[in-house]
Amino acid sequence: MGSVVGDWPCFDPHNFTQLRPLEPTAQPSKLTPVTYHPTHNRTLPPPNQVITTESKNILLRQFYQKSEEKLRPKTKRAASENLMPEHSCKQLRGPASGL
Amino acid sequence: MCGQINLFRHFYENLCPSHTIYDINCPDYSFRKFTDDGHFLIAFSRTHQDLIVYRPSWLSYSCKGDCPFSLDAHLPPKAQCFDSFFHHLYTVSLASANEFICKDFFLYVHTLRFGLFATSTAQANDPTTSSAEGAVHGVPSIEKITFYLVRLDDGVVLDEKAFCNDFVNLAHCTGAFLYDDLLCIVSLRYQTIHILQIRESGNLVEVRKIGAYCQEDDELFLQSHAQVSPGSSFLPGIKQRLLSFIFRKTWNEEADQNMRVQHLKKKFYFHFQDYVDLIIWKVQFLDRHHLLIKFGSVDGGVSRSTDQGLSFFAVYNMETTEVVSFYQNSSEEMYSFFEQFYDFFNSVSRSTLHAQFISSHTNNMHALDQLLNIKNKSTSFSQFVKKMMLTLPYTCQSHSPSPYFDLSLFRYDDKLISAIDRHRHSTEHPIKFISLRQPNVVKFKIKPGAEGGGPDGGRPKKVSSFLFHPYLPLILSVQQTYMQPTVVNLHFRR
Repeated sequence: MGSVVGDWPCFDPHNFTQLRPLEPTAQPSKLTPVTYHPTHNRTLPPPNQVITTESKNILLRQFYQKSEEKLRPKTKRAASENLMPEHSCKQLRGPASGL
Repeated sequence: MCGQINLFRHFYENLCPSHTIYDINCPDYSFRKFTDDGHFLIAFSRTHQDLIVYRPSWLSYSCKGDCPFSLDAHLPPKAQCFDSFFHHLYTVSLASANEFICKDFFLYVHTLRFGLFATSTAQANDPTTSSAEGAVHGVPSIEKITFYLVRLDDGVVLDEKAFCNDFVNLAHCTGAFLYDDLLCIVSLRYQTIHILQIRESGNLVEVRKIGAYCQEDDELFLQSHAQVSPGSSFLPGIKQRLLSFIFRKTWNEEADQNMRVQHLKKKFYFHFQDYVDLIIWKVQFLDRHHLLIKFGSVDGGVSRSTDQGLSFFAVYNMETTEVVSFYQNSSEEMYSFFEQFYDFFNSVSRSTLHAQFISSHTNNMHALDQLLNIKNKSTSFSQFVKKMMLTLPYTCQSHSPSPYFDLSLFRYDDKLISAIDRHRHSTEHPIKFISLRQPNVVKFKIKPGAEGGGPDGGRPKKVSSFLFHPYLPLILSVQQTYMQPTVVNLHFRR
Protein backbone atom coordinates (compact mmCIF):
# COMPACT_ATOMS: atom_id res chain seq x y z
CA MET A 1 0.00 0.00 0.00
CA GLY A 2 1.29 3.41 -0.84
CA SER A 3 2.39 5.24 2.25
CA VAL A 4 1.17 8.79 2.78
CA VAL A 5 4.75 9.85 3.20
CA GLY A 6 5.76 8.09 0.01
CA ASP A 7 9.32 6.86 -0.21
CA TRP A 8 10.81 9.24 2.32
CA PRO A 9 13.42 7.65 4.57
CA CYS A 10 11.91 6.42 7.81
CA PHE A 11 13.45 5.17 11.02
CA ASP A 12 10.97 2.35 11.31
CA PRO A 13 9.30 1.07 8.16
CA HIS A 14 6.23 0.17 10.17
CA ASN A 15 5.61 3.81 11.12
CA PHE A 16 2.66 5.48 9.48
CA THR A 17 1.24 2.15 8.25
CA GLN A 18 -1.95 2.74 10.23
CA LEU A 19 -2.66 5.94 8.37
CA ARG A 20 -5.46 5.87 5.89
CA PRO A 21 -6.02 8.63 3.37
CA LEU A 22 -9.16 10.62 4.06
CA GLU A 23 -12.37 9.55 2.31
CA PRO A 24 -13.38 12.05 -0.36
CA THR A 25 -16.91 12.26 1.03
CA ALA A 26 -15.53 13.41 4.37
CA GLN A 27 -13.88 16.42 2.77
CA PRO A 28 -15.80 19.43 3.99
CA SER A 29 -15.04 21.38 0.86
CA LYS A 30 -18.63 22.20 0.10
CA LEU A 31 -19.51 23.29 3.62
CA THR A 32 -20.45 26.91 3.78
CA PRO A 33 -19.79 28.83 7.00
CA VAL A 34 -22.77 29.77 9.10
CA THR A 35 -23.93 33.30 8.51
CA TYR A 36 -25.40 35.37 11.32
CA HIS A 37 -27.97 38.07 10.69
CA PRO A 38 -28.98 40.75 13.17
CA THR A 39 -32.57 40.56 14.36
CA HIS A 40 -32.88 44.30 14.92
CA ASN A 41 -31.32 47.51 13.67
CA ARG A 42 -30.80 49.29 16.98
CA THR A 43 -27.07 48.97 16.83
CA LEU A 44 -26.51 50.06 13.26
CA PRO A 45 -24.00 52.89 12.90
CA PRO A 46 -25.25 56.19 11.54
CA PRO A 47 -24.98 56.21 7.74
CA ASN A 48 -22.53 59.11 7.63
CA GLN A 49 -20.26 57.88 10.42
CA VAL A 50 -16.55 58.33 9.87
CA ILE A 51 -14.11 56.66 12.24
CA THR A 52 -10.76 58.37 12.68
CA THR A 53 -7.88 58.17 15.13
CA GLU A 54 -7.91 60.64 17.96
CA SER A 55 -5.07 63.04 17.28
CA LYS A 56 -4.30 63.65 20.92
CA ASN A 57 -2.65 60.90 22.94
CA ILE A 58 -4.18 59.71 26.17
CA LEU A 59 -2.03 61.96 28.35
CA LEU A 60 -3.10 65.08 26.47
CA ARG A 61 -6.72 63.95 26.55
CA GLN A 62 -6.44 63.71 30.32
CA PHE A 63 -4.97 67.21 30.57
CA TYR A 64 -7.76 68.62 28.40
CA GLN A 65 -10.47 66.70 30.20
CA LYS A 66 -9.39 67.80 33.67
CA SER A 67 -9.04 71.38 32.50
CA GLU A 68 -12.48 71.40 30.96
CA GLU A 69 -13.93 70.19 34.22
CA LYS A 70 -12.18 72.96 36.11
CA LEU A 71 -13.08 75.68 33.65
CA ARG A 72 -16.70 74.67 33.25
CA PRO A 73 -18.86 77.24 35.04
CA LYS A 74 -20.28 75.69 38.16
CA THR A 75 -23.83 76.37 39.34
CA LYS A 76 -24.27 77.31 42.96
CA ARG A 77 -26.30 74.22 43.81
CA ALA A 78 -23.85 71.88 42.16
CA ALA A 79 -21.03 73.58 44.00
CA SER A 80 -22.65 73.33 47.37
CA GLU A 81 -23.49 69.69 46.77
CA ASN A 82 -19.90 69.03 45.84
CA LEU A 83 -18.49 70.92 48.76
CA MET A 84 -20.58 69.40 51.52
CA PRO A 85 -21.24 65.76 50.87
CA GLU A 86 -20.70 64.91 54.50
CA HIS A 87 -23.54 67.16 55.53
CA SER A 88 -26.12 65.39 53.43
CA CYS A 89 -28.20 64.91 56.55
CA LYS A 90 -28.78 68.65 56.64
CA GLN A 91 -31.66 70.06 54.68
CA LEU A 92 -31.41 73.26 52.66
CA ARG A 93 -33.74 75.92 54.01
CA GLY A 94 -36.45 76.69 51.58
CA PRO A 95 -37.90 80.20 51.24
CA ALA A 96 -41.18 79.22 52.92
CA SER A 97 -39.66 77.45 55.87
CA GLY A 98 -40.64 78.72 59.27
CA LEU A 99 -37.92 80.29 61.32
CA MET B 1 6.75 43.98 14.93
CA CYS B 2 6.91 45.33 18.48
CA GLY B 3 5.87 41.98 19.95
CA GLN B 4 8.74 40.30 18.12
CA ILE B 5 11.32 42.68 19.52
CA ASN B 6 10.06 42.14 23.02
CA LEU B 7 10.53 38.39 22.66
CA PHE B 8 13.93 38.80 21.04
CA ARG B 9 15.03 40.62 24.13
CA HIS B 10 14.74 37.43 26.15
CA PHE B 11 17.58 36.18 24.02
CA TYR B 12 19.80 38.76 25.71
CA GLU B 13 19.57 36.81 28.96
CA ASN B 14 22.03 34.46 27.32
CA LEU B 15 23.92 36.88 25.18
CA CYS B 16 25.88 38.93 27.69
CA PRO B 17 29.32 40.43 27.82
CA SER B 18 31.66 37.70 28.95
CA HIS B 19 35.12 39.19 28.64
CA THR B 20 36.80 42.44 29.57
CA ILE B 21 39.81 44.09 28.06
CA TYR B 22 41.10 46.32 30.81
CA ASP B 23 42.75 49.61 30.07
CA ILE B 24 42.46 49.12 26.34
CA ASN B 25 44.98 51.05 24.34
CA CYS B 26 42.93 53.79 22.75
CA PRO B 27 43.31 57.44 21.83
CA ASP B 28 42.89 59.82 24.71
CA TYR B 29 39.47 61.06 23.75
CA SER B 30 36.44 61.77 25.81
CA PHE B 31 34.04 59.01 24.72
CA ARG B 32 30.51 60.25 24.93
CA LYS B 33 27.87 57.89 23.64
CA PHE B 34 26.75 55.29 21.15
CA THR B 35 23.98 56.61 18.93
CA ASP B 36 20.61 54.98 19.62
CA ASP B 37 20.75 53.00 16.39
CA GLY B 38 24.23 51.70 17.17
CA HIS B 39 25.80 53.07 14.00
CA PHE B 40 28.19 55.55 15.58
CA LEU B 41 30.34 56.11 18.66
CA ILE B 42 30.69 59.80 19.47
CA ALA B 43 33.82 61.15 21.10
CA PHE B 44 35.35 64.54 21.70
CA SER B 45 38.97 65.56 21.87
CA ARG B 46 40.45 66.52 25.23
CA THR B 47 40.77 70.07 23.96
CA HIS B 48 36.96 70.08 23.57
CA GLN B 49 37.26 71.37 20.08
CA ASP B 50 37.08 68.33 17.85
CA LEU B 51 34.40 65.77 17.20
CA ILE B 52 35.61 62.25 16.51
CA VAL B 53 33.22 59.65 15.18
CA TYR B 54 33.78 55.91 15.09
CA ARG B 55 31.82 53.08 13.56
CA PRO B 56 31.38 50.23 16.07
CA SER B 57 32.04 46.90 14.44
CA TRP B 58 31.90 43.41 15.74
CA LEU B 59 35.17 41.82 16.61
CA SER B 60 36.45 39.23 14.24
CA TYR B 61 39.90 37.79 14.28
CA SER B 62 41.76 34.81 13.03
CA CYS B 63 44.43 32.81 14.75
CA LYS B 64 46.85 30.21 13.53
CA GLY B 65 46.28 26.61 14.41
CA ASP B 66 43.53 25.63 16.82
CA CYS B 67 41.63 28.68 17.86
CA PRO B 68 41.16 28.60 21.62
CA PHE B 69 37.51 29.18 22.53
CA SER B 70 37.76 28.82 26.27
CA LEU B 71 37.30 31.93 28.31
CA ASP B 72 40.70 31.52 29.91
CA ALA B 73 42.50 31.47 26.62
CA HIS B 74 44.09 34.73 25.66
CA LEU B 75 42.86 36.73 22.76
CA PRO B 76 45.38 37.23 20.01
CA PRO B 77 47.02 40.66 20.36
CA LYS B 78 45.25 42.06 17.33
CA ALA B 79 41.90 41.25 18.90
CA GLN B 80 42.74 43.37 21.92
CA CYS B 81 43.06 46.53 19.90
CA PHE B 82 40.60 49.34 20.12
CA ASP B 83 40.76 49.50 16.32
CA SER B 84 39.41 45.98 16.05
CA PHE B 85 36.17 47.15 17.58
CA PHE B 86 35.91 50.68 16.33
CA HIS B 87 36.66 52.03 12.94
CA HIS B 88 37.62 55.70 12.93
CA LEU B 89 35.43 57.54 10.41
CA TYR B 90 36.58 61.15 10.68
CA THR B 91 37.58 63.98 12.97
CA VAL B 92 35.87 67.33 12.53
CA SER B 93 36.78 70.57 14.22
CA LEU B 94 33.63 72.15 15.62
CA ALA B 95 34.93 74.75 18.01
CA SER B 96 37.59 77.27 17.27
CA ALA B 97 39.63 79.77 19.28
CA ASN B 98 37.85 80.50 22.53
CA GLU B 99 34.93 78.13 21.99
CA PHE B 100 34.55 74.68 23.49
CA ILE B 101 32.32 71.77 22.68
CA CYS B 102 29.87 71.03 25.45
CA LYS B 103 30.65 67.38 26.14
CA ASP B 104 27.31 66.84 27.85
CA PHE B 105 25.29 67.89 24.86
CA PHE B 106 24.42 65.52 22.04
CA LEU B 107 21.14 64.76 20.32
CA TYR B 108 20.70 62.26 17.52
CA VAL B 109 18.24 62.55 14.66
CA HIS B 110 18.07 58.86 13.84
CA THR B 111 15.92 59.09 10.70
CA LEU B 112 18.46 61.28 8.95
CA ARG B 113 21.59 60.22 10.88
CA PHE B 114 22.32 63.76 11.91
CA GLY B 115 23.90 64.72 15.19
CA LEU B 116 23.26 67.96 17.04
CA PHE B 117 26.19 69.34 19.01
CA ALA B 118 26.76 72.55 20.93
CA THR B 119 29.75 74.77 21.48
CA SER B 120 30.01 77.74 23.77
CA THR B 121 32.44 80.38 24.82
CA ALA B 122 33.39 80.46 28.48
CA GLN B 123 30.80 81.99 30.78
CA ALA B 124 32.33 85.28 31.69
CA ASN B 125 29.51 87.70 32.29
CA ASP B 126 28.45 88.44 35.80
CA PRO B 127 24.97 87.03 36.24
CA THR B 128 23.94 89.82 38.54
CA THR B 129 24.14 92.42 35.81
CA SER B 130 21.86 92.23 32.86
CA SER B 131 21.99 95.19 30.64
CA ALA B 132 20.22 93.71 27.67
CA GLU B 133 16.58 94.47 27.12
CA GLY B 134 14.32 91.58 27.83
CA ALA B 135 16.97 89.60 29.65
CA VAL B 136 16.08 88.06 32.96
CA HIS B 137 18.03 89.43 35.87
CA GLY B 138 19.97 86.67 37.58
CA VAL B 139 20.49 84.37 34.61
CA PRO B 140 24.12 84.26 33.43
CA SER B 141 25.07 85.24 29.93
CA ILE B 142 27.34 83.41 27.54
CA GLU B 143 28.91 85.34 24.72
CA LYS B 144 28.08 82.75 22.09
CA ILE B 145 26.40 79.36 22.05
CA THR B 146 26.34 77.62 18.69
CA PHE B 147 24.40 74.51 17.76
CA TYR B 148 25.83 72.46 14.93
CA LEU B 149 23.92 69.97 12.83
CA VAL B 150 26.38 67.38 11.53
CA ARG B 151 25.71 64.58 9.06
CA LEU B 152 27.30 61.71 10.93
CA ASP B 153 27.87 59.55 7.86
CA ASP B 154 30.62 61.84 6.67
CA GLY B 155 31.08 64.59 9.25
CA VAL B 156 29.81 67.44 7.10
CA VAL B 157 28.48 70.35 9.13
CA LEU B 158 25.11 71.00 7.53
CA ASP B 159 23.88 74.00 9.46
CA GLU B 160 24.43 75.97 12.61
CA LYS B 161 22.41 78.25 14.83
CA ALA B 162 24.00 80.71 17.18
CA PHE B 163 22.66 82.38 20.30
CA CYS B 164 24.62 85.43 21.37
CA ASN B 165 24.74 86.87 24.88
CA ASP B 166 22.22 84.28 25.89
CA PHE B 167 22.03 81.28 28.13
CA VAL B 168 20.84 77.80 27.19
CA ASN B 169 21.18 75.04 29.71
CA LEU B 170 23.38 72.66 27.76
CA ALA B 171 24.25 70.28 30.59
CA HIS B 172 22.75 66.86 29.84
CA CYS B 173 20.68 68.37 27.01
CA THR B 174 18.39 70.03 29.53
CA GLY B 175 17.76 73.09 27.41
CA ALA B 176 16.77 71.31 24.22
CA PHE B 177 14.30 68.67 23.19
CA LEU B 178 14.03 66.72 19.96
CA TYR B 179 10.75 65.25 18.73
CA ASP B 180 10.91 63.75 15.24
CA ASP B 181 12.14 66.65 13.14
CA LEU B 182 11.19 69.34 15.63
CA LEU B 183 13.73 70.80 17.98
CA CYS B 184 13.00 73.20 20.80
CA ILE B 185 15.74 75.22 22.42
CA VAL B 186 15.03 77.20 25.56
CA SER B 187 16.71 80.54 25.90
CA LEU B 188 16.70 80.98 29.66
CA ARG B 189 18.05 84.50 29.53
CA TYR B 190 15.45 85.86 27.15
CA GLN B 191 12.72 83.47 28.26
CA THR B 192 12.02 82.35 24.72
CA ILE B 193 11.28 78.90 23.39
CA HIS B 194 12.72 78.52 19.91
CA ILE B 195 11.02 75.86 17.80
CA LEU B 196 13.15 74.74 14.88
CA GLN B 197 12.58 72.18 12.20
CA ILE B 198 15.35 69.93 10.97
CA ARG B 199 14.84 69.52 7.27
CA GLU B 200 16.08 66.57 5.26
CA SER B 201 18.39 68.92 3.43
CA GLY B 202 20.10 69.55 6.76
CA ASN B 203 18.78 73.04 7.31
CA LEU B 204 17.74 74.23 10.73
CA VAL B 205 14.70 76.36 10.08
CA GLU B 206 13.13 78.50 12.76
CA VAL B 207 9.42 77.73 12.87
CA ARG B 208 8.30 79.89 15.76
CA LYS B 209 9.44 81.69 18.86
CA ILE B 210 7.34 81.55 21.97
CA GLY B 211 7.99 83.99 24.75
CA ALA B 212 7.41 87.67 24.32
CA TYR B 213 4.99 86.83 21.54
CA CYS B 214 2.96 83.71 20.86
CA GLN B 215 1.45 84.20 17.43
CA GLU B 216 3.67 85.04 14.48
CA ASP B 217 1.99 88.40 13.92
CA ASP B 218 1.69 89.45 17.57
CA GLU B 219 4.69 91.74 17.37
CA LEU B 220 3.45 93.49 14.23
CA PHE B 221 -0.03 93.88 15.68
CA LEU B 222 1.20 95.36 18.94
CA GLN B 223 3.56 97.78 17.27
CA SER B 224 0.92 99.09 14.93
CA HIS B 225 -1.99 99.23 17.38
CA ALA B 226 -0.88 99.51 20.93
CA GLN B 227 0.02 102.80 22.44
CA VAL B 228 2.37 101.90 25.18
CA SER B 229 2.95 104.73 27.60
CA PRO B 230 6.58 105.31 28.55
CA GLY B 231 7.70 103.30 31.52
CA SER B 232 5.19 100.53 31.10
CA SER B 233 5.47 97.38 29.09
CA PHE B 234 3.37 94.41 28.31
CA LEU B 235 3.94 91.16 30.03
CA PRO B 236 5.41 88.54 27.68
CA GLY B 237 2.81 86.72 25.61
CA ILE B 238 3.36 83.34 27.22
CA LYS B 239 3.02 84.90 30.67
CA GLN B 240 -0.24 86.57 29.67
CA ARG B 241 -1.60 83.25 28.47
CA LEU B 242 -0.56 81.64 31.72
CA LEU B 243 -2.06 84.32 33.94
CA SER B 244 -5.33 84.32 32.05
CA PHE B 245 -5.60 80.58 32.47
CA ILE B 246 -4.89 80.82 36.20
CA PHE B 247 -7.46 83.61 36.46
CA ARG B 248 -10.17 81.60 34.70
CA LYS B 249 -9.41 78.51 36.74
CA THR B 250 -9.52 80.44 39.99
CA TRP B 251 -12.69 82.25 38.89
CA ASN B 252 -14.44 78.95 38.31
CA GLU B 253 -13.34 77.39 41.56
CA GLU B 254 -15.82 79.47 43.48
CA ALA B 255 -19.43 79.11 42.38
CA ASP B 256 -20.86 81.69 44.73
CA GLN B 257 -20.65 85.07 42.98
CA ASN B 258 -20.38 86.90 46.26
CA MET B 259 -17.44 84.84 47.38
CA ARG B 260 -15.77 84.87 44.04
CA VAL B 261 -13.95 88.16 44.35
CA GLN B 262 -12.65 87.21 47.77
CA HIS B 263 -11.47 83.90 46.40
CA LEU B 264 -9.71 85.61 43.52
CA LYS B 265 -7.98 88.02 45.84
CA LYS B 266 -6.69 85.20 48.00
CA LYS B 267 -5.72 82.74 45.30
CA PHE B 268 -4.79 84.92 42.38
CA TYR B 269 -4.11 88.56 43.15
CA PHE B 270 -2.22 87.84 46.33
CA HIS B 271 0.19 85.68 44.33
CA PHE B 272 0.07 87.78 41.17
CA GLN B 273 3.63 89.04 41.41
CA ASP B 274 4.91 85.57 42.20
CA TYR B 275 3.28 84.26 39.05
CA VAL B 276 4.68 87.16 37.02
CA ASP B 277 8.16 86.47 38.37
CA LEU B 278 8.11 82.82 37.32
CA ILE B 279 10.56 81.89 34.59
CA ILE B 280 10.62 79.00 32.14
CA TRP B 281 13.06 76.35 33.35
CA LYS B 282 12.64 73.47 31.00
CA VAL B 283 10.47 72.43 28.08
CA GLN B 284 9.57 69.24 26.27
CA PHE B 285 7.24 68.27 23.45
CA LEU B 286 4.20 66.19 24.36
CA ASP B 287 3.31 65.93 20.68
CA ARG B 288 3.91 68.09 17.63
CA HIS B 289 1.55 70.78 18.88
CA HIS B 290 1.85 70.68 22.65
CA LEU B 291 4.63 71.65 25.00
CA LEU B 292 5.09 70.81 28.66
CA ILE B 293 6.73 73.84 30.26
CA LYS B 294 8.22 73.86 33.72
CA PHE B 295 8.17 77.20 35.50
CA GLY B 296 10.05 78.16 38.61
CA SER B 297 11.97 80.88 40.34
CA VAL B 298 15.01 82.53 38.81
CA ASP B 299 17.39 80.85 41.27
CA GLY B 300 16.29 77.35 40.47
CA GLY B 301 16.47 77.67 36.72
CA VAL B 302 20.20 77.73 36.38
CA SER B 303 21.43 75.76 39.34
CA ARG B 304 21.60 72.00 39.18
CA SER B 305 20.39 71.56 42.68
CA THR B 306 17.83 68.91 43.36
CA ASP B 307 16.03 71.19 45.73
CA GLN B 308 12.36 70.35 45.81
CA GLY B 309 11.20 73.90 45.98
CA LEU B 310 8.12 75.25 44.33
CA SER B 311 7.76 74.79 40.61
CA PHE B 312 4.87 74.57 38.17
CA PHE B 313 3.93 72.70 35.03
CA ALA B 314 1.96 74.14 32.17
CA VAL B 315 0.71 72.39 29.05
CA TYR B 316 0.75 74.83 26.13
CA ASN B 317 -0.85 74.34 22.71
CA MET B 318 1.40 75.98 20.13
CA GLU B 319 -1.32 76.14 17.46
CA THR B 320 -4.04 77.77 19.53
CA THR B 321 -1.46 79.49 21.78
CA GLU B 322 -3.54 78.52 24.79
CA VAL B 323 -2.42 77.18 28.09
CA VAL B 324 -4.32 73.94 28.55
CA SER B 325 -3.34 72.97 32.08
CA PHE B 326 -1.42 74.33 35.03
CA TYR B 327 -0.25 72.35 38.02
CA GLN B 328 1.97 72.89 41.00
CA ASN B 329 4.78 70.37 41.45
CA SER B 330 3.05 68.95 44.53
CA SER B 331 -0.17 68.28 42.65
CA GLU B 332 -1.58 64.81 43.18
CA GLU B 333 -3.44 65.00 39.89
CA MET B 334 -0.19 65.67 38.05
CA TYR B 335 1.39 62.77 39.92
CA SER B 336 -1.43 60.48 38.82
CA PHE B 337 -0.60 61.32 35.20
CA PHE B 338 3.05 60.61 35.95
CA GLU B 339 2.20 57.25 37.47
CA GLN B 340 -0.24 56.14 34.78
CA PHE B 341 1.05 57.73 31.58
CA TYR B 342 4.78 58.24 32.04
CA ASP B 343 5.56 56.76 28.60
CA PHE B 344 3.70 59.65 27.01
CA PHE B 345 5.97 62.13 28.72
CA ASN B 346 8.77 60.13 27.20
CA SER B 347 7.39 61.44 23.90
CA VAL B 348 9.36 59.10 21.74
CA SER B 349 8.23 59.02 18.16
CA ARG B 350 6.98 55.64 16.99
CA SER B 351 9.79 55.12 14.53
CA THR B 352 12.57 54.92 17.12
CA LEU B 353 12.68 51.17 17.35
CA HIS B 354 14.85 50.38 20.35
CA ALA B 355 13.82 53.35 22.43
CA GLN B 356 10.25 52.04 22.67
CA PHE B 357 11.48 49.33 25.01
CA ILE B 358 13.16 51.50 27.58
CA SER B 359 11.81 50.24 30.90
CA SER B 360 9.64 52.59 32.82
CA HIS B 361 7.05 52.12 35.51
CA THR B 362 4.27 52.32 32.93
CA ASN B 363 5.53 49.51 30.71
CA ASN B 364 7.28 47.28 33.21
CA MET B 365 5.78 45.82 36.34
CA HIS B 366 9.14 45.51 38.09
CA ALA B 367 9.77 49.19 37.62
CA LEU B 368 6.24 49.89 38.86
CA ASP B 369 6.92 47.74 41.93
CA GLN B 370 10.02 49.79 42.65
CA LEU B 371 8.07 53.03 42.34
CA LEU B 372 5.22 51.85 44.54
CA ASN B 373 7.73 50.61 47.09
CA ILE B 374 9.27 54.05 47.35
CA LYS B 375 5.80 55.59 47.46
CA ASN B 376 4.67 53.38 50.32
CA LYS B 377 7.86 53.89 52.29
CA SER B 378 7.86 57.66 51.97
CA THR B 379 6.94 59.54 55.13
CA SER B 380 5.43 62.46 53.28
CA PHE B 381 3.39 61.90 50.15
CA SER B 382 3.79 65.52 49.14
CA GLN B 383 7.58 65.27 49.34
CA PHE B 384 7.47 62.04 47.36
CA VAL B 385 5.37 63.70 44.66
CA LYS B 386 7.77 66.64 44.43
CA LYS B 387 10.68 64.25 44.14
CA MET B 388 9.03 62.38 41.29
CA MET B 389 8.16 65.64 39.56
CA LEU B 390 11.87 66.45 39.40
CA THR B 391 12.08 63.99 36.50
CA LEU B 392 9.62 66.06 34.46
CA PRO B 393 9.89 67.42 31.84
CA TYR B 394 11.64 64.38 30.45
CA THR B 395 15.23 64.91 29.30
CA CYS B 396 15.55 63.93 25.68
CA GLN B 397 17.55 60.79 24.81
CA SER B 398 18.73 60.47 28.39
CA HIS B 399 18.03 56.74 28.69
CA SER B 400 20.05 54.00 27.04
CA PRO B 401 17.90 51.56 25.06
CA SER B 402 20.28 48.68 25.84
CA PRO B 403 18.43 45.44 26.68
CA TYR B 404 20.74 44.99 29.68
CA PHE B 405 18.79 47.74 31.41
CA ASP B 406 15.50 46.01 30.70
CA LEU B 407 13.98 45.43 34.11
CA SER B 408 12.07 42.37 32.95
CA LEU B 409 15.37 40.68 32.12
CA PHE B 410 17.94 41.86 34.65
CA ARG B 411 18.25 43.21 38.15
CA TYR B 412 21.05 45.63 38.94
CA ASP B 413 21.91 48.19 41.57
CA ASP B 414 20.68 51.45 40.11
CA LYS B 415 22.89 53.46 42.44
CA LEU B 416 25.89 52.02 40.68
CA ILE B 417 24.58 51.89 37.13
CA SER B 418 21.41 52.71 35.25
CA ALA B 419 20.00 53.52 31.84
CA ILE B 420 20.41 57.22 32.54
CA ASP B 421 23.83 58.29 31.37
CA ARG B 422 25.47 60.07 34.22
CA HIS B 423 28.86 60.01 35.79
CA ARG B 424 28.88 58.03 39.00
CA HIS B 425 31.34 57.54 41.81
CA SER B 426 33.34 54.42 41.14
CA THR B 427 32.95 51.36 43.19
CA GLU B 428 35.57 48.79 44.04
CA HIS B 429 33.11 45.98 43.63
CA PRO B 430 31.97 44.64 40.30
CA ILE B 431 28.53 45.73 39.16
CA LYS B 432 26.38 42.65 38.86
CA PHE B 433 23.57 42.05 36.40
CA ILE B 434 21.41 39.32 37.84
CA SER B 435 18.86 37.38 35.84
CA LEU B 436 15.35 38.15 36.93
CA ARG B 437 14.01 34.73 36.04
CA GLN B 438 16.81 32.91 37.84
CA PRO B 439 17.28 35.06 40.92
CA ASN B 440 20.62 33.69 42.03
CA VAL B 441 22.32 33.66 38.71
CA VAL B 442 24.66 36.52 37.95
CA LYS B 443 24.57 36.78 34.20
CA PHE B 444 27.49 39.12 33.88
CA LYS B 445 29.54 41.61 35.86
CA ILE B 446 31.14 44.88 34.99
CA LYS B 447 34.28 45.40 36.95
CA PRO B 448 35.33 48.99 36.40
CA GLY B 449 38.87 47.85 36.95
CA ALA B 450 39.79 49.70 40.12
CA GLU B 451 43.41 48.95 40.61
CA GLY B 452 43.71 49.90 44.23
CA GLY B 453 44.56 53.08 46.06
CA GLY B 454 47.20 55.74 45.61
CA PRO B 455 50.75 55.53 46.91
CA ASP B 456 49.80 56.60 50.39
CA GLY B 457 47.03 54.04 50.65
CA GLY B 458 44.31 56.62 50.22
CA ARG B 459 41.69 56.10 47.54
CA PRO B 460 41.65 58.91 45.03
CA LYS B 461 38.19 59.81 43.90
CA LYS B 462 37.20 58.00 40.76
CA VAL B 463 34.27 58.71 38.53
CA SER B 464 32.89 56.11 36.15
CA SER B 465 30.74 56.39 33.12
CA PHE B 466 29.34 53.59 31.01
CA LEU B 467 28.59 53.54 27.33
CA PHE B 468 26.26 50.72 26.33
CA HIS B 469 25.78 49.80 22.72
CA PRO B 470 22.01 49.81 22.05
CA TYR B 471 21.81 46.18 20.97
CA LEU B 472 25.26 44.52 20.87
CA PRO B 473 26.83 43.01 23.99
CA LEU B 474 29.44 45.74 23.89
CA ILE B 475 30.08 48.18 26.73
CA LEU B 476 32.74 50.79 27.29
CA SER B 477 33.43 51.72 30.89
CA VAL B 478 35.44 54.84 31.41
CA GLN B 479 37.14 55.54 34.71
CA GLN B 480 38.41 58.99 35.44
CA THR B 481 40.65 59.63 38.39
CA TYR B 482 41.77 63.03 39.47
CA MET B 483 45.25 63.83 38.18
CA GLN B 484 45.63 60.41 36.55
CA PRO B 485 45.11 59.21 33.01
CA THR B 486 41.65 58.02 32.08
CA VAL B 487 41.17 54.27 31.88
CA VAL B 488 38.90 52.75 29.25
CA ASN B 489 37.75 49.16 29.58
CA LEU B 490 35.90 47.19 26.96
CA HIS B 491 33.35 44.59 27.95
CA PHE B 492 32.10 42.31 25.21
CA ARG B 493 31.01 38.80 24.42
CA ARG B 494 33.73 36.54 23.12
